Formats: sequence, C-alpha cells, structure tokens
Amino acid sequence: MIMVSILLIAFVGAGGTCLVGRGNPRFRGLVASLVAFLPLIILAFLYGRVISIDYASVPFLDIGLSLRLTPLSWFFGIAIAALGGLAIVFSISYMQGKERLNYYYSMMLLVNASMLGIVLSGDFLSFYIFWEIMSWSTYLLISYRGKQALGAGLKYIIMSIIGSSAMLLAIGSLYISYGTLEIPSLATALQGASAWYALFVLLMFTIAFGIKNAILPLHTWLPDAHSEAVSPFSAILSGILVRMGLYGLFLLMFSVLGLNTLNRLSYGAISFNLVLSWVGALTILFPIFIAVLQDDAKRLIAWSSIGHGGYMILGIGVATTLGIAGGLFHALNYAICVALLFLAVGAVEYRTGTRDLNKLGGLMKRMPITFTGALIGSMGLIGIPLTNGFISKWLIYKTLILSRYPFLAFAALIGTWGTVLYGYKLVHNVFLGQLPEQYKEIEEVPWTMRVPMIVLSGFVVLFGVLPGIPLKAISVIQTHLGMTRLETSLFGMPKAIGELNTLNIFFALLVAGLIAYAAFSASRRSRRVSQYDNYAAGARVPVGGYQHSVRFYDQADRIIRPYLRDRIDDFYGWIATQSTAFFEQLRKIYTGNINTYATWIVLFVAVLIFMGLLGWRI
Amino acid sequence: MSTFMRVVWIVTLPVIALLISVLFLGLFRKITARIQRRYGPPVYQPVIDLTKLLTQHSNISHGVMFDMGLIIALAGSVVTVLLIPAGGIHPLSSSGDLLVIIYVMLIPVLGMALAAGDSGNPNASLGVSRKLILGLGYEVPFLLVLLTVMTHGETTSLVNVVQMQADSILSWGVFRFPLSAIATFLILPVMLGIHPFDIVGAPQEISSGPQVEFGGKYLALATIEQALQLFIVIALFVDLFLGGAANLGTFFLKMLGVFLIGIFIGAVYPRFRIDQALRYCWKWPTLFALAGLILVMIIGG
Amino acid sequence: MDRANIRKAIKDPHKWGEKYSLWVTYFCTGCGIMEIPPTITARWDAERFGVKPMATPRQANLFLITGYVSIKTLKAIIISYEQMPNPKYTVAFGSCPIDGGLYYTSYNTINHLDRYLPVDGWIAGCMPRPEAIFIAVTKLWKMIEGGMVDGYKRYEENIDYYRRNQERVLGREFIESSPAPMTEEP
Repeated sequence: MIMVSILLIAFVGAGGTCLVGRGNPRFRGLVASLVAFLPLIILAFLYGRVISIDYASVPFLDIGLSLRLTPLSWFFGIAIAALGGLAIVFSISYMQGKERLNYYYSMMLLVNASMLGIVLSGDFLSFYIFWEIMSWSTYLLISYRGKQALGAGLKYIIMSIIGSSAMLLAIGSLYISYGTLEIPSLATALQGASAWYALFVLLMFTIAFGIKNAILPLHTWLPDAHSEAVSPFSAILSGILVRMGLYGLFLLMFSVLGLNTLNRLSYGAISFNLVLSWVGALTILFPIFIAVLQDDAKRLIAWSSIGHGGYMILGIGVATTLGIAGGLFHALNYAICVALLFLAVGAVEYRTGTRDLNKLGGLMKRMPITFTGALIGSMGLIGIPLTNGFISKWLIYKTLILSRYPFLAFAALIGTWGTVLYGYKLVHNVFLGQLPEQYKEIEEVPWTMRVPMIVLSGFVVLFGVLPGIPLKAISVIQTHLGMTRLETSLFGMPKAIGELNTLNIFFALLVAGLIAYAAFSASRRSRRVSQYDNYAAGARVPVGGYQHSVRFYDQADRIIRPYLRDRIDDFYGWIATQSTAFFEQLRKIYTGNINTYATWIVLFVAVLIFMGLLGWRI
Repeated sequence: MSTFMRVVWIVTLPVIALLISVLFLGLFRKITARIQRRYGPPVYQPVIDLTKLLTQHSNISHGVMFDMGLIIALAGSVVTVLLIPAGGIHPLSSSGDLLVIIYVMLIPVLGMALAAGDSGNPNASLGVSRKLILGLGYEVPFLLVLLTVMTHGETTSLVNVVQMQADSILSWGVFRFPLSAIATFLILPVMLGIHPFDIVGAPQEISSGPQVEFGGKYLALATIEQALQLFIVIALFVDLFLGGAANLGTFFLKMLGVFLIGIFIGAVYPRFRIDQALRYCWKWPTLFALAGLILVMIIGG
Repeated sequence: MDRANIRKAIKDPHKWGEKYSLWVTYFCTGCGIMEIPPTITARWDAERFGVKPMATPRQANLFLITGYVSIKTLKAIIISYEQMPNPKYTVAFGSCPIDGGLYYTSYNTINHLDRYLPVDGWIAGCMPRPEAIFIAVTKLWKMIEGGMVDGYKRYEENIDYYRRNQERVLGREFIESSPAPMTEEP
C-alpha cells in the first residue's frame, strides 16, 4: 500500500500542481516542492526492506502488474526523489517570470513520478509503461524552450522510440516464451534459457538502455538535449534520468539474468561483459576529450555526462564485487556532481544571461557560493580525494587492475586527466580571471537557488570523507542479489580490499593546510589590489580584454581535434538525409489521382496472387 | 611501527623532504652554473631567497582563491610526501595506495591552477593551460608505466612494490621492466618541469606563467610547493625502479643520483614548444611504456 | 659564509635575505641593457651575488634603469616600479638617467630620472662596464646594512611631488589611472 501511495502522490501531485498553479500561482512552487519531497521522506523510512505487491491485473494477457521495492530500487529511488526535489526548489526562482509554468512544473513532477515508477515496478510491463511516460514527458520538457530545442527534442524522441521498440520486442518475446513478466519469476525462468536467447534479450534491452545511458554509438541525442533543456531539468536529465538506462541494465544483468547466465555468454576469450566493458572504456575516452573542446558550458557538461556514463558501464561490465559497487556508487556520485554543475551553470546563466565560456570570467568575486558549488562539483568529477567521485573511481580502477585489465584501466585513468582539463576550463572561464565590466554589479543568486547547491556540495564532501554511508546501501544491494558483498567501514576500505582511509587523508590534509595557513598568516599580511592593478608588461591593463579563455587549450586542441570529430553523429545525420531523400521520392506515388491508387492496389494484389501461386506462405 | 613513531615520522618526514628538496634547488642552481662555466650562487641560495620572500614587507593578493589555492597546493604536496614510502618510512601509506597517490598529486596542480587563475592575469592562465596540456602529455606514458608496475605485482600498494624489489639489485624495477624505466626516465624532466620542458613557467614568453602575480610570501610558498614536487617525482621514481631503500640515507643518495642525471640533461638544452613537448611525450615514452606493458601482460607476473 | 655573516643572518634574517637575494626586474629601457647579458651569463655571472633577473616586477626588488628614458618608457617604468613589492631599490645605470647624457636636448627623453622616481644609486658612465654593476651591488649591500636605502619610503612620503612631475610629462590621464602607491603594512 505504501508503495502505491508513493506513486499516487507523485502522479496525482503532478496534475495537482498544475491545478494549484491555475488557481493561485503563488503556491505553485511550494506545492511542487512538497510533492517532490514527500516520496523522499516515505522512501527514506523504507531502507533495507523488500516489499512486493500486485496493484492491477491485465485480464486479456493473464498477467498481473506489480510494484516491488528492493534495495536496488531504494538506492535509485532516493537519488531520484532527492535530486528531483532539489531541482524543483531551484526552479522556483530560476523559472520565475517564465512562460507556461504550470506546464513546466507538472512535467517536471511527471518525469520524477515516472522515474520512481520505473525503479519501483516489479514487472516488465509496468516498467515499459513508466518508461514510455518518462520518455514522452522528457521530450515535452526538452522542447519547452522552443526554437533549437524542438530539434534537440525530436532527435531525442526518435532515438528513444527506437530504443523502446527494441525493448518492446524483447518484452514481447519474453512474454511469449515464459508467459510471465514478473521480474522474480523471469529470473528463475531465464536460468534455463539458451545462451543465444539470453543474448538476444540482453542485446535488445541494451539498445534501449544504451540509448538512455548514452553509451558510445548511441549517444548522439544527449549533447543537444542537455544543452537545450532548462538548467534545473538538465540537472535531472543528466544526473538521474539517463542513469535509468544504467538501472535497467543493472536490473537485467544481475537481477534477471544473474552472474551465471552472464558468464555463459562468451565465445572463447570474448564475452558479453568484456565487450560491454570495452564499450564503456571507449565511452569514457572519446566524449571526455570532446568535452574539452566545447565552448558552451552546458554542452561541455553534457559531453562529460556521456563520458562518465562510461565509468559506470565499465564498473558493472567487469562485474566484480568492487566493480559493481564502484559502478553503482559512481552513478550516485555523478548524479550529485553533475546536478551541482548544471545548477551552478544555470545560476550563472540566470544572472548573466549567457553560458558561453568565452564571454564570462571573474564571477567568483560576485557569486562566491555558485563558485564554490561549481568548484566542488568539478572536483567531484575529477575525483580529487575527499570528494565522492574519488572513491567510486578508486573502486573501479582497483578492480580493473587486479582483474588484469590494464588497458581498460588506462582508458579510465586518462579520462580523469581529460576531466581535469575540462573541469578547470569550466571553473576558470566562468569564475576566475578578470571580471567583465558589464557584470560588475551582479549579485549572488536568491536563496532558493543557493540551498540546492549548498546541499549537493555538502553531499559531495560528505560521501567523499565518509564513503561508508552510501557503500553500506550498495553492499545491501549486493547481498540482496546474492553476490559477494563489499566490506566497508565508514571511512574507507578494510586491509583485505586495499589501502584507503579517507579520514586519515582528510586529517592529514587538514593539518597540513592549517600549518601552511599558519606560515602564510605569520608573514606580512597582504593587501588586496584591484584586478586592474595587474602585470601587463609595464602597461595599464586593457579593460575588458585582459583574459585568456578563448580556445583555452589551443595547443592541445590543434593536435587532438581532428581525432575527435563525432563521426557517429555525422553518420546518423547522413542516414537521416538519405532517408528523407528516399521518402521524398517515395512520396511521388501519392499523385492525388484515384486511378493511380487503383493501379497500385491491383498491382499489389497481383503480386500477392503470383506469390501464392509460387507456393510462398505469407 | 608504533603509533608514537608514526606520529613522529608524520611530523618529521615533510620537514626532511622540505630540506632535501630545498637542497636540491640549491644544487640545481649551482651545478647548472658550473656546467655553464659560471661560478654560481652558494648552495644555500634558495634559503636566502625564501627568507627574503617570507619576510618581505609588502604582499599583494588578488582574492580569496589566490590565497587559498596556494595553501591547498602546499597541503596536497605535504600529504603526497607522507603517502610515498621514503627509505622504509611510510607513516601514512596504509591510508592510500598508488591510485590514491596519483589522485593526491592532482591537488597541488589544481591548487596552483586556482590560485593562478584568480590572479586575473592571462599570462597565468596561459601557464596553467600549458601545465594541464603538458600533464595530458606525460600522464599517458606515466599511467601506462604505473599500470605495468601494478599489473606485474598484482598490487596497487606502493609499499608492496618497494618490498618486491628488496631482494637484490637484480629485482629492482629498472631490471624487471627496463622499457618502463626508460619511458619514465624520458618523461622525468617533463614531470619536473625543468629544461627542456620548462614551458609552464617560461619567464621570457609568459612572464613565469602561473606565478606572474606571485610575490613575497606567495612566491615563497609556490617555490616550496615546487620543491616538494621535485622530491615527490624523484622519490616515486626511486620507489618504482630503484628498489626504494632500507634507510633514509640510501634513499637520499639514490634520489641524488636520479636528480643529477636530470640536471645534466636539463642544463644543456633550450626550451621546447608546447606542441613539440606534447608530441614528444606521445611518441617515444608512450611507445616504450606501451611495449613494457604488453611485455608484462604476455610474460605474466 | 663566515661566522660574522651567520650571526648577522640569525639576528636579522630579513636584512640578510634582502642583501643577498636582489632580484632584478627584466626591463630594458635603453641601450644600457646591452651590458646585462654578459653580466648575467658565464662571463661575469651575476647569480653568484644572488642577483637574478625576474620576469615580473611582482617578484623583483631591484630596478636597473638601463640607459636613456624616453617619455613612453617612463610610463612603463613608473607602472612597473609601483607594482614592485617593498622594499625596492632603484639604480640608474649610465649617464643618461642622471642628466640626459647624449640625449640632453632631445624632446622625447627625460633628463633627470630622480624627479619622477626615487633613485637609490647611480652608476655613471657611457656605458658602465659590468664590473660597475657589481660594485653598485656591493655598495647597495652596505647601504641596506646601514638602512640607508629609503627610496621607496621617500616615494610614498613625497608622492605629491613625484606625481606633479610625472603629470608634467605624462599628462593628467596617466596620473588619474594610477592606483595609490603601495604603503608599508603595519
């Protein structure tokens, strides 16, 4: 009952917010935040419990629809509800004065509700239904801004439909083969399936989930969609919505098929997991360096979003205890960090009206909290020790090295240096350097926008210093799925797994920092000078032009850019133009002349008869 | 190691590292001068410079990050020193393995980058951009080398790597994976930022790069931080390939040896352009490192 | 380093540092800069005195005005000088900064540098040899020892005088865009 109530609150609340907004727009933000945070509170009390209920049945298919709460769905559910709520709170000021707000809020809540539905569904039919609700409401939100956003939304929904079709095919075939779509009963049924059939199901689902999670050949919708969506929604989109693909893949691989079946899917040295890991590694390598070349802040984060999806795929691809824990943990960490970055960029856009990395600079002095948020977010992405990103990356590297996949580990490790490049570029070009004259007077964003950033920054550091908190939840997932669970303490790993003690590093850094600070403040105090009192080879600083941000990594840019063209996108574009041309030609059979149509029909029937004569069965 | 000794070493090791690295700075200037047929400054010249900078009467600051970045950088360097086993002393090494070291080594880089970025000087930003590009260059072979070592030993702990080389001279890393050792040696000047790869702080082109606005105590802390980087990189090389050492004395001698060879190369070269350096890093050192890794993969641990 | 020096260093480390680590601003004002390359390279090696050219004025505390000072250069000299941290010393090199020298009648050079900037020492000659620079450096040591180099203090005290003179040749606009000079921190 409690699970139905979660979904009821979420779905009814989405509609209700719209009604409230029509009645009295002042309460709209408040109601929306309440609706967004209620599921979080309910879910928080359900920690570690496994509940499963049937809520409806489909008589003509003879199957029931059920909801199922497992530690896995709890883990993702909490992330969805928390991020969704923070994004809504951020929206209150960010969206103020924009058009069609009722539509915006109800769509945001609908996306949240459908995501909750996905993680809570206990059978694949409910899963599919919620999946479709999510896809379509996402489409509506991406194209909310109109103009270019329409194109981005179209690209998204076309790829999404292809994925959904693949998933529907697999679900249909599962239903025909086993007569049930319940996840637990499928899990037992599929143990006896042939390897080819399992591979077919897995591949079909991988296409659907891969498109959502933007793994390498299926990623092209993401950069456009992320940069065109409004910032709070970008945070949800990039933080948690694309990770629904990861959730689905994880559910299928480890909950439905199980490790035994996965291990059977191999041909010689090549196994499904190895291929998946390599896809993950390539997904890290290329997008992260493409992100370095971007000049649009949101596009940069969008590409990084694809790249970091690769870490998670890599983690669950190697399918060791550490790898799975690392992959799941990285999904959470990345969600936090990237939401933080999108909100920070949104805050900058809110105040300055631009997110072009070549036009900003020096905003740190005007927007210190936004700067701190962006800095901590970037640090988390890079994986600086004492941020959460470090722990998950550490787990993934560790397992890759010990399982003797040094090349995969290399792809992941060098991806970090790419992250350093674009993370610093983002922070520098927006917040450091000289403050342009036209932004001299801007202020920090309002409190409703600050709070989500502060909360998210807090979690980045909290999970970085005390990684045991989320890792405990992950080890509960592993226990639930019957895998070896990851032994962790609150602040690091036991000796058996490896040397990591974040608390010691934290205190060492703290003490070293304090000593450095003491040495710093023991010597003469420094005098603050204006940004125009600066070394310019003996000249006065030219106002407004003394900044290095355009083509920040020019020298490397020239060398690596030729290798980083998104040829896959070009290829899809080519297919699109070719098929447009083809259908243009095909359209010509519609002449508008009834005689022509009659001819076509007669010809078609003739062909059918002819085939019948030849003895073909259709 | 008892808790008391551990605490003692945690306090003294950074101090020792600082002394050694400041001595190295002095030696660097003296030896370079002698190679260039100059008399050169006294070996303790860096001490004079640091004293002057720290006691300077006036300092200027450009903002909060300008101050904090340096402090973060310095703290990160100190922690890195604590994580790297130096002559059998590794007070914090059970808190972090080689993977942690790779990432802690990013803290000083980013701290300096933030401080430089906040100075609002395009020369500083250019310097940081060069530093990060150069990092992209040397990380490729360096990570391959580290992966070779870790895959070979099937461990990520630097202490274990050092212990494995303890038997005899022949079990040193330089004899076990000579290709990787060559690769690391080739990128050593890049990592240290000495000639011919002092692109980051090129005084003639970009007015000493990230440090362009640093003066007084800021420059002093930046110099200390750089000196510690010198210590870290060389100590890492000694730990990985020269078998670490049983005591601090031997360790220091080994470091000195590596450092001297580095100076001899550096003192006679002019400076590369940044793209030349990038191509250099991605050519021979990467090739050697890759060959070393493949060899280890084939032959096995 | 003999024993007396050690005692002095411990007694007043600041003065010790100031003396033996004089960093020069990399700035060539005129023909006199020709004498600097031999001074800092193998032939004469200034580094043994702790004298080292630095790329930015933020790191330097010795300003060598090498040769004649045109009005345009004076602007850059003043900006650089004000960016140098205290304590800072100015040494005018060659006869031109002293009295205009060869360019005494030029419409475009200034004749007396010390009207625009405080000068702590002069090296006469056209050109002075590198040895003269070292003599100047040792003289500067003695002056630092005795606390006699107070150019930067004089500049702060008599800023109105200097600004007036600067304004006469550089114009009102330049003076208005100048920040207040660096004052000694308490």
